[in-house]
Amino acid sequence: MNAIFFSILAIFSLFVFMNLGKVKASKKQMNRDDRIKWSYRRKFRGQKNKDGPKIIEGSAEEIDDETKKSSQ
Amino acid sequence: MSKHSALNTFGRSGNPAFTRNFDGANTIPQSERMTLDGAVNKTAILLSLCFGGAFVGWNMPALAMPSLIIGLILAFVTIFRSPAKAGTTAPFYAGFEGVALGGITVFAEAQYPGIGIQAIGLTFGILASLLFCYKSGIIKPTENFRLMIFSATMGIAILYLVSFIMSFFGSGIGFIHSNGLFGIGFSLFVVGIAALNLVLDFDFIEEGAEQGLPKYMEWYGAFSLMVTLVWLYIEILRLLMKLRSR
Repeated sequence: MNAIFFSILAIFSLFVFMNLGKVKASKKQMNRDDRIKWSYRRKFRGQKNKDGPKIIEGSAEEIDDETKKSSQ
Repeated sequence: MSKHSALNTFGRSGNPAFTRNFDGANTIPQSERMTLDGAVNKTAILLSLCFGGAFVGWNMPALAMPSLIIGLILAFVTIFRSPAKAGTTAPFYAGFEGVALGGITVFAEAQYPGIGIQAIGLTFGILASLLFCYKSGIIKPTENFRLMIFSATMGIAILYLVSFIMSFFGSGIGFIHSNGLFGIGFSLFVVGIAALNLVLDFDFIEEGAEQGLPKYMEWYGAFSLMVTLVWLYIEILRLLMKLRSR
């Protein structure tokens, strides 16, 4: 009787795991501010964008002494 | 550059293995990304391998100790050396740990018949009930929660290590193995911590799928779940043995 009960419990639990595991967690779980930050990337992504890119895009031009003088 | 501005510019790493993989998620094609389905299916594969190994261990209990050591080495290699190769190491880990668990269960069954199926039932029962609690939002893991569980897990690991070393000198930490109230209380505490580690694993897998981590992280998530399940099973078995020996 004991063995049957625990066998059924194990099989039922595995069935629950296989089905429930593939379902996304509830919004109550996912939409929280205090979630574990497995990466801190998300936290700082906004701040990085706020600072703006550090690379100036465009074609590179060689500046020599003559072009410097003509621009002045 | 100050410490804080450096953090703001470059971000901060938590667990190096997790963070490295989380940061690369943006450039991965959709078909190569981690999914919940994939992680669950891979956990099922690892569980099948573990049961297969347990069948071998049940019939050849002498293989239990070597398999346990090989399994531990594979676990350390997967965690610290190559999470990306979890797809190769995790199945071997599951198989070897299965052989070890089969052998350990034979010894336990010889002393207390029927204890193995009780431990299996309780382990999977805890797995399913905590998964339900996590998915429904009843248990909400936070940074403080992670810190608490991590500290407790490390504390238990150090205690076991000290006890193991002391055993070579004919000594030991008595209450860990005793079947008195303190010993049972300690085992209950360890079972609780092992069970709560499952919640961290669920959260890691959920977050990984949401962020679209590389496909191999499905294996890594399944592997971390297996490590916790193996630990939980052993601790439940120990607790039941203490209770039955009274």
